[in-house]
This record gives sequence, C-alpha cells and structure tokens, in this order.
Amino acid sequence: MKKWSEVALGVITSIGGFLEVGSIATSTQGGAEFGYRLAWVLVLGTLSLALLMEMTGRLAAVSKRTYVDLLRERFGYRFFLLPLVAVFLVSFLVLASEIGGVSIALQMATGINFAWWAIPVALLGWVLLWRGTFGIVEKGTALLGLVALVFAVGALKLHPAWPAVGHGMLPSLPSDNRARYWYLAVSILGASISPYLYLFYSAGALEDGWTMEHLGVNRVTAGLGNVFGGGLAVAALIAAALVLAPREIKVDRYEQIAMVLSTLEIVLALAYLLAQGFGWSWSENLKPEKDARFATVYTVLILLAAVPIAIGANPLTLTNVSMVATAASLPVTVIPLLALMNDGDILMKHVNGWASNVALVVIALLSVALLVAALPLQLLGG
Amino acid sequence: MQAFAMGTLRIGAMLALALSASACGSPPPLDKQLEAVSSWTATMQLARDEHGSGAITTTYATQLRDAALAALEESKQTIGQAAHSKTDSSYAAAALDSLRTAIRALNAETGS
Repeated sequence: MKKWSEVALGVITSIGGFLEVGSIATSTQGGAEFGYRLAWVLVLGTLSLALLMEMTGRLAAVSKRTYVDLLRERFGYRFFLLPLVAVFLVSFLVLASEIGGVSIALQMATGINFAWWAIPVALLGWVLLWRGTFGIVEKGTALLGLVALVFAVGALKLHPAWPAVGHGMLPSLPSDNRARYWYLAVSILGASISPYLYLFYSAGALEDGWTMEHLGVNRVTAGLGNVFGGGLAVAALIAAALVLAPREIKVDRYEQIAMVLSTLEIVLALAYLLAQGFGWSWSENLKPEKDARFATVYTVLILLAAVPIAIGANPLTLTNVSMVATAASLPVTVIPLLALMNDGDILMKHVNGWASNVALVVIALLSVALLVAALPLQLLGG
Repeated sequence: MQAFAMGTLRIGAMLALALSASACGSPPPLDKQLEAVSSWTATMQLARDEHGSGAITTTYATQLRDAALAALEESKQTIGQAAHSKTDSSYAAAALDSLRTAIRALNAETGS
C-alpha cells in the first residue's frame, strides 16, 4: 500500500514538474504558429525524458549514488567539469526564466509590473528552501503545478478534431517557414528533456531513500508521470492551435499565454549539481547549518537568477534562449549515461538491455543533432 | 572522451556568442514586423471579445493593451527602416493604423 501511495505521489510530482514555464511557452508558441504539426516533437521529448529518468533513477536506486556522483567518479574531474559548467549555465538560465514566469503570472493577477515581483519571488522561494524539507519542495510545488490541468480541460472544451491531432503526432514538414519550425522543435525538445529534470530525479531518489525494491516504483513513476505531463503539454499546444492559430496570433510575450509554473525544483537541482560534483554534504532534509555550502549555493543562485527579470529582461525571450541552450547542452549528460548504464560494477544485473541501449543511442544521436542545429536555428528561426 | 569534451566546449562557446549576437542585431525584415503587428492587432480583437463575454478581467485586458502599445511603439521605431519602397511604407502604415484602431476598441470596451 505504501509503495502504491509512493507511485501515486511520484506520478503527480512528475506531472506537475514536467509542465513548467518552458514547456508551456514552447508548446503554446508551436500550436499558435504551426497548429498540431509539432505535437510529434512533444511525444519524442516525453518518451526521451521518461527513458532518461527511468535510467538515472535506476542508477541511483541500485548504486546509492546520484548520476552526478557517478559522472565524477567514473570519468574523472577533468571530464566532469564539462557537464558541470554546461548544465550549470543552462540551468541557471532556465531558473531565471522560471522566476520570470512566476513574476509574469503575478503581474497578470495584480497588474503590478513583473520586474517588481522578481526579488520577492526569489525571496519566497529561498524561505521555502531554507525552512522546508525535500518533500515540501518536491510535492508542494508539483501539487501547485497540477493547476496546469486547466490546459487539459481547456483543450477538451474546445473540441479538437482528434484525427488531426493524431496526424500531428507523426513527423511532418510545413511548406514554408521551416527554420522557425525547426527552431520551435528544438525549443520544445530543450523544454522537454531538460538535464535538470533527470539530475533532480536522480538526487530525489536518494533523498527518498530508494533501494532496489523501488525499481518498479521508479519505472511506473518515470513512465506514467511523464506521459501525463507530456499529455498536458500537448493540451497546451491544442489550445493554442485552436484559439491563437486561426487568428494568426503569434506568442511574442507571456501576457498572451495563461500559465502556471514551478521554480524551486530547479534551484535544488542546481545546488545538488554543485554539492554532489564537489563532494559536499547535501540534502534538502538537513538543517542549513548541517550542509552550509549547499544552503549557500541555493541562496546565492536564487537571488542572482532574479536579477535579469528585476532589470526588465523579456521573460519569454529568456525562456526561448534558455530552452535552445538546454537542448544544445544535452550530449554532455546523455552520452556518458550510455557508458554508466552498461557498467556491471555499478548496476550488476540491472544494466541496460538491448532495447534500452538502442533507445539511449537514439537519444544520444538526437542530442548531438540538437547541439549542431541549435546555433544556426537560433540565428535563422529565433 | 577528452576530445569530445573539448569539441563540445567549443560548440557551446560559439552557441553562446551567437545567442548574444542574435539578441542585439539589426531590426527584423518588413514581413516579420508586419506579421508581429498583425498578431498584436488580432490579440487586441480577441481580448476585446473575451472581455466583452466576461472571460478575462479588466486588469488582464489592460496589461495586454499595454503590451500592444509597447509593440506599437517599437514597430513605429523600426518598421520605417525595413520599408524600402512606397508600397512597403503604405503596407506598414496600414498595419500600424489597424493596431491603433484595435487598441482604441479595447480601450472603449474596458472603459479606460
């Protein structure tokens, strides 16, 4: 019974965690500009993320170490610096855009300009991190994120033509504006397969004390949670395709989107990355004085990330740039996973089977394609 | 792995440069600017309809109007540089006029 409640909570967490500001922004932009045509990218992104989360969760449950710990131990500090720097920079950009998203949501509710909200949002987030536990951060923000179910209700009430939606799940090319189409495709993939999501998931497995007995829970949580979360992103795309696309409204600013957001998980993911990377003491369940460096990192980061929004940067532009940068950063965390998931010393009999390896190779190739394409697409379609 | 790391680092640095460059380049071409202006005109029309039916609040409608006004001001500054003929200029003027009219209509709807 306890296991099933863990599964239910895990699935809810994944749903709320999946549909954050980047997914909402890019799915809505995709729906507004290309109708259902980009739905297949969401399917691809969701499946990829589910596989990566299942693997990093399995790695943590079996080895009792996070993916970041293993990256450092197996590949050495010199190599480890690359994913550390890349993931840190792109996750920091994502954090700034998440703060921007929350600030815009507050602007919509109150009429007070988003720039004024950036510092209070950062301070509130910091208080929750300082005073709260991992459970509060993980489940509390994810439950709030469930407000995004409004996208599912909205999409259903708009009565989409389901065969056309189904057709959008298969890859197709528009007759014109292809650079923009691929730019949005890369942005959607960047939003769906954010490294912070699976790094956070791997650290969360240890915070929750997962063992090999949790491998089933891990599989169901990663699978179902992402399928439901991806479903909500598809719903956002459908709503935009039916409301904005017929009127030829392009989403240039967040004011044109109604949205709900979650921010704290990414602050923790960044703090985990540094603390695990440098071998510091870390846990959101410890009092700040017991893991002072970990607490200092999230304190400094959340305040720094509020600065671009506080000085008036356009949150949507920041989100788009950070999603493309995220997509470009994927190879440094995806390719090493291929080696770790086949390491019998770490995973024993739980190493990847051939099907998982084929899927991971496909994701690795996709990540390299995203890295190569990100630069020209930012210039041509951004 | 080291060669892979260095290669990825180089591409990452190029990407960062390109991202910075794309953020502060020349104004977009006329067709893109016309698309953006027409998108804001449609947004104003939708906001007016939605406000009329009680689907959105006056606070939110006012924010949309302010965002459209900002887009209008920005376009007024840049659209002239992208218009290279009389025809271009007349298209641009018509698009800006439509946006002004749509903003006025939303103002009338919200009573501001």
